[in-house]
Amino acid sequence: MAASKSTSPQPIQPLDAERSVRGASHLNRTAQTPDPWKLCATLEYGSDRTFATTVEKLVTQTAPRDWPKIEEQLIGTLALPECTEAGRAFLCRMLALVGSAKSVPALTTLIRNPKTADAARTALEIIPGPEAGAALRDALASLPGNAKAGLIGSLAARRDAAARPALTSLKNQTAESAIVRGTAARALETIPLS
Amino acid sequence: MNHPGLGSESAASPAVATLSRRRFLHVSSTATAAFAAPQVITSRLFGQGAPSNRITLGLIGAGNIGVAHLDTLLGYQDTVRVLGVCDVDRERRESAAVRINHEYGSNDCRPYADFRELNRRREIDAVLICTPDHWHALTALDAIRQGKDLYVEKPLTLTIAEGRALVDEARKYGRVVQHGTWQRSMKRFHDLVEFVRDGGLGKLHYVECLIGANNRHVGATWQPEAVPEGLDWDMWLGPAPWRPYTFYGCHYNFRFIAENASGQMTNLGAHCLDIGQWVLDMDRSGPVEIEGHGDYPTSGLFTTPTRIDVTFRYASGVPMYCRTDLTVNGNNTSRFFGERGWLDIGYSKMSASDPNLLRAMQAPNKRVQVPSSKNHYEDFFAAMRTRQRTIADAETAHRTTTICNLGQIAMALGRKLRWNPEREEFVGDEMANRLRSRPMRAPWSLVHDLA
Repeated sequence: MAASKSTSPQPIQPLDAERSVRGASHLNRTAQTPDPWKLCATLEYGSDRTFATTVEKLVTQTAPRDWPKIEEQLIGTLALPECTEAGRAFLCRMLALVGSAKSVPALTTLIRNPKTADAARTALEIIPGPEAGAALRDALASLPGNAKAGLIGSLAARRDAAARPALTSLKNQTAESAIVRGTAARALETIPLS
Repeated sequence: MNHPGLGSESAASPAVATLSRRRFLHVSSTATAAFAAPQVITSRLFGQGAPSNRITLGLIGAGNIGVAHLDTLLGYQDTVRVLGVCDVDRERRESAAVRINHEYGSNDCRPYADFRELNRRREIDAVLICTPDHWHALTALDAIRQGKDLYVEKPLTLTIAEGRALVDEARKYGRVVQHGTWQRSMKRFHDLVEFVRDGGLGKLHYVECLIGANNRHVGATWQPEAVPEGLDWDMWLGPAPWRPYTFYGCHYNFRFIAENASGQMTNLGAHCLDIGQWVLDMDRSGPVEIEGHGDYPTSGLFTTPTRIDVTFRYASGVPMYCRTDLTVNGNNTSRFFGERGWLDIGYSKMSASDPNLLRAMQAPNKRVQVPSSKNHYEDFFAAMRTRQRTIADAETAHRTTTICNLGQIAMALGRKLRWNPEREEFVGDEMANRLRSRPMRAPWSLVHDLA
């Protein structure tokens, strides 16, 4: 498909052809029955994502009492060395649905790296409990500029009163970017005192 | 609500009409009408006639919908001036600005690549937001904090949490908001609301909203492509999760990608469900139970359902159904079934089980009266001058958008959900509650600001 901004209709690939293109190789890699969880780790942008659809269905239809099992699967998959950017984003999105304090150590590793911080925040911003909030606050010291502004936004979304001292400090630090200072100031307006 | 029309001198109180052009009234009204944080309302809002008293607008998002708005706005040259156009696509913003300046015979309209610059132009009174859905909340919140009034295309926001934040901020800063649910300014829908609420159909049994489905099949896989010259792809994505550019993942088709929108549920459903909410007098509330089923593409770029079947139940017991129906072919419609028959009212057609019902519906002077608007833009402009509510104000817009999002969440989870419209939370479903908001890609967030 040409990288054109034209609004004219683009050719639509016939379904048969799609089966032999990107992503389908996942299913031919071994003779064994493919494990949709592991395949999620190797998800690529634009590739076949039927296995991710299967996993998402499993996650959304699991009763809360079984969330720990699902969470364990997701954490294990997230730790695979072959985990891709798209795979990580998907797994973190699933952890946002069922994650608990048990997910926080794995996500803490990710949130300290600017390249993976957004994916980690996808889960940490949503997961309830003090552990997730602490992981976000601790990362303020290690993330630069824009990533730090994102962290501040997540702390504001959580109404994390424990973050107020750090945000007050950031608001007044002239060494920080205008976005970090402005976002910290705005966050302080929304986070209750306690 | 009976708004003064444009040109009505009675719109301005003597006190505010005497403000000079360069003197700013700093106000911020909270829900309790107290004055607090500083905001700016230019004096031009309070009088008309001279060019300096025209309402000044900025357009954020110059795609299909933005240009359609422009077509109309350029017809209001005596009362409205568009002073800025923002789009992350250079060709779009520049061609729109050139067109506006050509129409005005001036160079007053400037193109912007970043909405924050447009929002910080003090001489602009209001902005029209026509971006992809994932940008609505952030562009609106920034505009509100810069003292602008807003006309926001539907859906108001991408998530329920964003919507509540927008409503609260608009109240805090005393900003006027008009939502793009323009059917509220069509006489037939106004008549319908008064007629059904007045018992014209007898006891209302149920409401049915039928929407078309135009999701194309664009393949089970897709290829990342080079970003077209002039398109700031990173800014186009903004708060949405990062993904590489591909033609079908950008202009227009974003609405079929769950990271950017919620498919036809919010695209077309926003119009029909909005009318249902209005008829049911639920503009400050919503359903208490939602059950939905959707057909989702199992692979490919598009991730929103191609078939929608959602049931909303209200505390009154009246259900509202929302379904995709290929036979409506773009003529989305809201149907109301009562003990005396049915009414089927769409923006391009209307019918009834009995012609007398239609005649009665259109008769004047009903016992039940609801606010009216004859023109969605003029209602907005009038509200800007009077500081009154629009026909589709922020809270109404949020409740309509919420019902769309409730349907989307119910379909995604595939189970019956209970909803507390007062607390705006699901009852007994932790996962559903976690779906009320979506974390944003850095540096964006609901508290994003510049020092």
